[in-house]
Amino acid sequence: MKITEALRGRQVICCVGSGGVGKTTTAAALALQAAMDGKRALVLTIDPARRLANSLGLKELGNEETRIDPAMFAAAGLQPRGEMWAMMLDLKHSWDELVREQSKSAEQAERILANHIYQSLSTAMAGSLEYIAMEKVYEVHASGRFDVVVLDTPPTSNALDFLHAADRVLDVLDNNAFRILLGPMMKAGKFGLRLLAAPSGLVLRTLARFTGAAFLKDVADFMLAFDGMYDGFKLRAGKVRDLLKSQKAAFVLVTSPNPLTIQEALFFYRALADDGIKTAAVVVNRVQRDPRRQGGPDNIPALREALALAQIKDDAGLAERLCQTLSEQSTLADLDRREVERLQRSLAGVPLCQVPRLRKDVHDLAGLWQIDGFLGSGGE
Amino acid sequence: MSLLDRRLVVVTGKGGTGKSTLSAALALTAARQGKKTLVCEVVARERVSELFGRPPSGTKIRELMPNLYSVHVRPREAMKEYALMTIKYETLYKIAFENAAARYFLAAAPSLAEIVMLGKVWWHAAHDMERGKLRWDLVILDAPATGHGLTFLTVPEAFVGLVSEGPLARDMRGMQSLLADPARCSVCIATLPEEMPANEAIELDKALRKHGFPSGPLFLNGYFESRFSPAEVSAVTRGGPLLASSGEAADNHESRAVLSAFYEKVLREAVPRELFKVPFLFERSGFGLGSLEKIALAIGAAT
Repeated sequence: MKITEALRGRQVICCVGSGGVGKTTTAAALALQAAMDGKRALVLTIDPARRLANSLGLKELGNEETRIDPAMFAAAGLQPRGEMWAMMLDLKHSWDELVREQSKSAEQAERILANHIYQSLSTAMAGSLEYIAMEKVYEVHASGRFDVVVLDTPPTSNALDFLHAADRVLDVLDNNAFRILLGPMMKAGKFGLRLLAAPSGLVLRTLARFTGAAFLKDVADFMLAFDGMYDGFKLRAGKVRDLLKSQKAAFVLVTSPNPLTIQEALFFYRALADDGIKTAAVVVNRVQRDPRRQGGPDNIPALREALALAQIKDDAGLAERLCQTLSEQSTLADLDRREVERLQRSLAGVPLCQVPRLRKDVHDLAGLWQIDGFLGSGGE
Repeated sequence: MSLLDRRLVVVTGKGGTGKSTLSAALALTAARQGKKTLVCEVVARERVSELFGRPPSGTKIRELMPNLYSVHVRPREAMKEYALMTIKYETLYKIAFENAAARYFLAAAPSLAEIVMLGKVWWHAAHDMERGKLRWDLVILDAPATGHGLTFLTVPEAFVGLVSEGPLARDMRGMQSLLADPARCSVCIATLPEEMPANEAIELDKALRKHGFPSGPLFLNGYFESRFSPAEVSAVTRGGPLLASSGEAADNHESRAVLSAFYEKVLREAVPRELFKVPFLFERSGFGLGSLEKIALAIGAAT
């Protein structure tokens, strides 16, 4: 089955997988596919290669929906029946927006935005970038402005960071244990060094010996500033989760034939399944094709003969060099094939597409359309 | 002064650029020079022990071959080890750290996990004594992938402002001074001849220099040397059915060689570091000691 068929009718498509496997290109190719089919499609990307971003006319930052210029389609010889849009996600900016939207007052929002703990939470905590990316997908989908939203997820080092992002974020925002510990201070609305002298402050005192009291104060200030916002966050996170688990959404697992990324892809697949999410399709990028499929000899004497027949001079060991190159690329092709077969066996029943390693990096619509040829119905 | 004469060599770069194999090859070279070497891996899954055909080291230091050891640095264990050095009493540690509040605290302050992991690496490089002298001649840090890798190395800088007192603050200043000292530390970059990794290497180089980390070499992994002239490729690809597979193979090879040469040029122009090319390795049965030997040979001039 072609990937595009497996994704028919889905409104939200999340491309997941480890970093450096071509998620951005796959996401953009899927959005292009939808636009060609007459949809209003948006690709939400995190960190695209500059040349791809430039060629699509994307601005550097700023969460701005940009329509891909129809002239660019014309230049690539394409006539889309729909529209393709793209947006480069600024994750930190999205977090700040969410906080502003959810806070009770502008003053509360500013207090949170200025807090050191918030700043590290919104940029560095495992799962926080993944969470905000999915939150943004929810928002764009709910706006009804697009028929299809394709998300290119952040380069997660670990599948669990991705899937449990919302839980982790909520867990940090609602920690009763810490509330109890800081209870008196939270009520007083102030965290003072006095606390460290209190008999019940043994835990805090010990932690403070380790980190210094100023750091604990920052944590307490953050909890205080966040007070009353937790329920709003939880409600929103629940809605995001419901959307992603519904039939409207599809997860596409993107990988390369590298054994490490295949391992990570399998881990992703199982983790999704544990969460009750069925992987809709798998894309394996950059698969080395075996040149031997073209036919012709691959040993030195026969190559010498073939060169002689074609009246090509066998200078400077040309036959030897060809033989070595054939053997090297067949090795790569065999390794890739073995890995793809392993993946296929483990993911029985999930549509799988292989995109061969192309001669050049993809950085324009024509290149994306070439990829669509392998994913479904584009042109090769 | 040779790269391996430092106390700490850090290998950074985007995921999948061959940091672990490079770290292992550097460690192999150092061990053979008679240096007692420890490789610290801070990523989610350890790889170095496997390259030497050994079982995973886990969070305890294990010998992989004479003079060469590795350890998997994990936040929880590093935190405990570190906290116990400061607090001294196991019971007190348990009360303070093994409760829900502390777990929250560690999650809310992600940099804390990085600080203790970097702290462990720093301790082995600068303070781990055995019979009156430093236990390790050289510590090699296989850093997390870029972005995160930079966050990892700059965590003392970012946090010393937040935590200005206490043992942690004192040790972070120690980490900073080691990481800024070109006589004791060198930070290398690993990359590939592809667009995204090359761009990230350029960004990473700028950021590392801006933060004052001593610039080590740039290792360009997975390099394809040109093997055919354009005339040869064109003759063979038009050589008829008998040369069809040869033509495609030669063309594939040259297209990757063109990319290799292109990104080498881009990197040489943009990154003011010594550049070492590491050839692409075709390993039918996976990477192992043999692959490390080949890499060690290719980067011999750097070590």
